[in-house]
Amino acid sequence: MIKVLFFGPVAARIGNNALQVEYCPGIRLQDVRDELAVQYPHAFEIVCFAAANGEHVRDMSMRLADNSEVAFMAKFSGG
Amino acid sequence: MTSEFEMKEPVRIQQEDFSQDEEIRALQASSKRMGGIATFLGCARDFSEGREVSEISFDAYGSMALSELKKLRSDAIEKYALLDARIVHRIGTVKGGENIVFIAAGAEHRVAALEACRWMIDELKQRVPIWKKEITPQGESWVTPHP
Repeated sequence: MIKVLFFGPVAARIGNNALQVEYCPGIRLQDVRDELAVQYPHAFEIVCFAAANGEHVRDMSMRLADNSEVAFMAKFSGG
Repeated sequence: MTSEFEMKEPVRIQQEDFSQDEEIRALQASSKRMGGIATFLGCARDFSEGREVSEISFDAYGSMALSELKKLRSDAIEKYALLDARIVHRIGTVKGGENIVFIAAGAEHRVAALEACRWMIDELKQRVPIWKKEITPQGESWVTPHP
């Protein structure tokens, strides 16, 4: 499985802090995003950044390993 | 002699308030070659976008935020040849007027310290996964970042 985390405004729109997506060999970060964006279009309207295993990812074609932890995040507003 | 401030990590995310004096003393203790220390203190405003704000609530991707803050500190030390730097960010709920974030940069000379301090707060806002929600008498809303 792939664990998907949400925080702040994205979590509020989804109504959940975490979901799971089934792993299949070759799955890319973009595939996970596409699958969830169909289910939660309102939340994904504000997604600007993605992370895999706690690191920023800019290449959405990155392939994920089983048991990866990914996050789709809105613009940051700390500080 | 080991005092409390010397044991605190130079980069922290915490619920409780921090002491600027302790952080500056810890920074100074790291080197006697430090000729300039620049600091930035971010506070919670009680008024935003025309509304009163009673509290600000923070959410964070805790493990990633801490690791990004540590990278930010080491990047700043390298980029500006700092002698040391410290970053403390609060999460949880912060009331209007209270402290949110503290950044301190120590260098041999003032220009590097001042520039590094400005760079760190600007970078923090761009790359550290923390979000703030303003709580007002009219309701709650997540903050849309300013450029």
